[in-house]
Amino acid sequence: MNLKFNLPKRQSELLALGEGETIRYCSPYDIDTNGHWMNNGYIVVTDRRLVVLTDQAVSEQIPIKDIAFLKCESLVNNGILVARNEGDTEDRIIARFSMKHVSRVAFVAKGALLIKEGSKKEAVSRERDHVCPVCGRALRGMSECPKCSGKPSAFRKFLGFCGQYKWLLLLIAFLMLATSAVQLYIPEVQKKFIDKNLRPAVGTTQEILVYALTMAVLSVSLIGISVARYYTCMSMGTRISKDLRRQLYHKIQKLSLSFIQDRRPGALMNRITGDTAQIRRFMEDGFAGMFSCLITMISAVVVMVRLSWQLTIICVAFVPIALGLSISFRKNIHRRFHMQWHKSDKINSGLQDVLTGIRVVKSFGTEEQEAENFKALAAEFAKVQKRNEVFWAKLFPVISFVMGLGIYFVTYFGGVRVIEGPLTVGELTQFISYSWMLYGPLGWMTFLPRMITQLMTSLERIYDVLDEEPMIQDHENAVEIDVKGAVEFKNVTFGYHSYEPVLEKINLSVKPGEMIGLVGASGTGKSTMINLIMRLYEVDDGQILIDGTDINDLKIEKYHSQIGVVLQENFLFAGTIYNNLKFAKPDATEEEIIRAAKMANAHDFILKTPDGYNTYVGEHGFNISGGERQRLAIARAILNNPKILILDEATSALDTESEYLIQKALERLTANCTTFAIAHRLSTLKDADRLVVIDGHQIAEVGTHNELMEKKGIYYGLVTAQLQMQALKGEEVNTEAAPAVG
Amino acid sequence: MGFKQFEGADEEFNLEQMEAETEQMLRLRMITKDNATFARTKGGFVSLDLSESIAAEHYDRIRVVRSFPFTDRNKYISIRTIDEKSKEIGMIRDLTTDVDPETRKMLEEQMDIRYFTPIIKKINNIKDEYGHAYFDVETDQGPCKFVIYMNSSSVVNLSDVRLLISDLDGNRFEIPDYTKLSARELKMLDLFL
Repeated sequence: MNLKFNLPKRQSELLALGEGETIRYCSPYDIDTNGHWMNNGYIVVTDRRLVVLTDQAVSEQIPIKDIAFLKCESLVNNGILVARNEGDTEDRIIARFSMKHVSRVAFVAKGALLIKEGSKKEAVSRERDHVCPVCGRALRGMSECPKCSGKPSAFRKFLGFCGQYKWLLLLIAFLMLATSAVQLYIPEVQKKFIDKNLRPAVGTTQEILVYALTMAVLSVSLIGISVARYYTCMSMGTRISKDLRRQLYHKIQKLSLSFIQDRRPGALMNRITGDTAQIRRFMEDGFAGMFSCLITMISAVVVMVRLSWQLTIICVAFVPIALGLSISFRKNIHRRFHMQWHKSDKINSGLQDVLTGIRVVKSFGTEEQEAENFKALAAEFAKVQKRNEVFWAKLFPVISFVMGLGIYFVTYFGGVRVIEGPLTVGELTQFISYSWMLYGPLGWMTFLPRMITQLMTSLERIYDVLDEEPMIQDHENAVEIDVKGAVEFKNVTFGYHSYEPVLEKINLSVKPGEMIGLVGASGTGKSTMINLIMRLYEVDDGQILIDGTDINDLKIEKYHSQIGVVLQENFLFAGTIYNNLKFAKPDATEEEIIRAAKMANAHDFILKTPDGYNTYVGEHGFNISGGERQRLAIARAILNNPKILILDEATSALDTESEYLIQKALERLTANCTTFAIAHRLSTLKDADRLVVIDGHQIAEVGTHNELMEKKGIYYGLVTAQLQMQALKGEEVNTEAAPAVG
Repeated sequence: MGFKQFEGADEEFNLEQMEAETEQMLRLRMITKDNATFARTKGGFVSLDLSESIAAEHYDRIRVVRSFPFTDRNKYISIRTIDEKSKEIGMIRDLTTDVDPETRKMLEEQMDIRYFTPIIKKINNIKDEYGHAYFDVETDQGPCKFVIYMNSSSVVNLSDVRLLISDLDGNRFEIPDYTKLSARELKMLDLFL
């Protein structure tokens, strides 16, 4: 997202930069003080001033050093920039803008505050504009507008990519030419036959037989060539889409989490499946037909001119008319069928709604009402569908007639010329055949621009991902180390959006084998700390050291293979228990797996299932409970023999017995590795060597349970609150649930 | 040594406090002209002083939120704190009767800032192109162009005739009664109905 727009001339004059003053950030804003849309409004941050410009004037000007408070507040479908001067007591609105600029202004405000702090850092936005700020084109989640960026187009890259299939392409080109040649040759044979042989007293039966056979052979070979052509196109389309899909998949696996989380969940899946399929479809339908149609049409015209240029002009004169008609009908039809699709979509979602909520519907006794609703939707759909079908049935013959209108004129004027003499009957027949060749593909050709644009869109989206540089990748001198387990945070600052830090200046040194409990209210950054240790994100500032080496200098794969992770919701892949356990260590032996399962208290329940370790789990698989799933995850983590273990709410939402079993399993697991554990139920952390309380983006307290209890700080408050919650619920405070120590 | 020694001493006090907080969250506190004074601030916001009859509290700046922004703009207006927690200070049952006209105007101004949903007066053009529709319209806040996704969630029926359109950036536009549009405009909008 661009945070430094160029100012128009008038606004530059209004800004009147001082000697040596430079613009650091500049964002447009678009709502005036009366709530009307406005143009040419800019919020500018220079290294000295924050200036708000309207179309004609400077509406606000604050020296950076006098800013006491500056914040972009997000309201309902718009935002305001609120500021307070040093010495003032009241906040005030200095600019208002639509959602288009909210995130941009937030970054600019952050940037201004960085300047005020005297920080060298620059506010950088990883977010993306939805609409190109220059040309207004929808960007579909791409980082740059392909039209305005001026980079080599996706199409050219795609052409380069297609280079590897050049033999297949040559074969296709040859087959296309062959198709056209045969298509053009057939009317020629017909002409000769009609003019030379098909005349009383001249022609012989044998000649007729020869003609019939020739025609049969030609037709069969035409079919043969077409089949071969579609086959090669099809296989090329499938190969291209397969290769692109593989490249995309590889790339997405490599890209950092932040790239993936910036996008809507379905969007990336769509690129792998939808966009590559789009390219395959084009290769099969569009590409195969496109060139042979063009070749046939052009050669038909050439031959027609040689036969009679006057007739050709008549014939060609109708092409634009036929083309125009076809386009206008197509628009109408597209509109109608889009509406039908829209209605069926409505029915589907309505149906899905009611069926998924069927328990609610039944328990509230609203079956009748829902049935009525659905009936109305279905009736609406039926009405549209019927109207469309009738329209289509009426229209299609009419279109065909109009499209072929030129033929009737050709027949008339050609017939006259035959009677007058300059044209033979055979030539007229040939001419009419060629005319059909000219008109025939026209209807189809009108779909071409649409197909091509769809292809381009898909290509742009695919190359948008392929061109992305992974933010986290091994650099050249990355080292492989055997982790011992010392972890150190040095002045670490991080935020998912650079304008709102989640962690600020974190300092923490953890010895190998130590167990650290991370405590704090939700949203304080506990999970973020863990994400940083896992190196799913890169820190914005500061350093994380693993055994004294900067985490960024480690080979990612090797490092990850030495970390074990157990999360609250553990994902099991569709597959057997055996395969799911082996996921962490593909070369594990069966005995290793059983040992790990035993350690995790999972072995016994696994053997209770009918298929033992071969039991199929995951979606639509064998139903295992949350506790069992959790123990499988622990087994998976143990298998790796990790040196750093991460437990993110590993035992929450489990019943007491499962928790006990898992606690026991974890005790074994945490014995010889550095452990970071997050738990809301503080009793889970009773074995932690140290507890780290995170509050207000920072480490608020560090110490053992007893130390923190004596301190009577945040941790003390959390523990007592939790005990009282239990008292309120009327639960017995049993020894397992309470964080009893000593 | 365990935590249990702390437990006895503070349990009651904390319990009371928590219960009080819970109570506060559950209570529906009505604000009227008799117990509250609103005033404009220099910065374009509104401050609030509650009288002692409910709680002698002062707020430098408050947030004004509609409970039913689409169906009942003037009823059950929630007055909330400006901080991240956005706690409810109280509710105004009916803006037209429960406060004096000057206060009403003040709060409406605040809500006009908070809610920004331009009303489409005239559709100049709608161009659909490969999954997106480009709108060129006149709104009550001036002319405007925006882009929407061509799927069913971009245009929502608030009632039989009332449409709410959301664009790619998250801005929203309203058509109060689409049947009042001209035949030409309706034809362009047809795809989304």
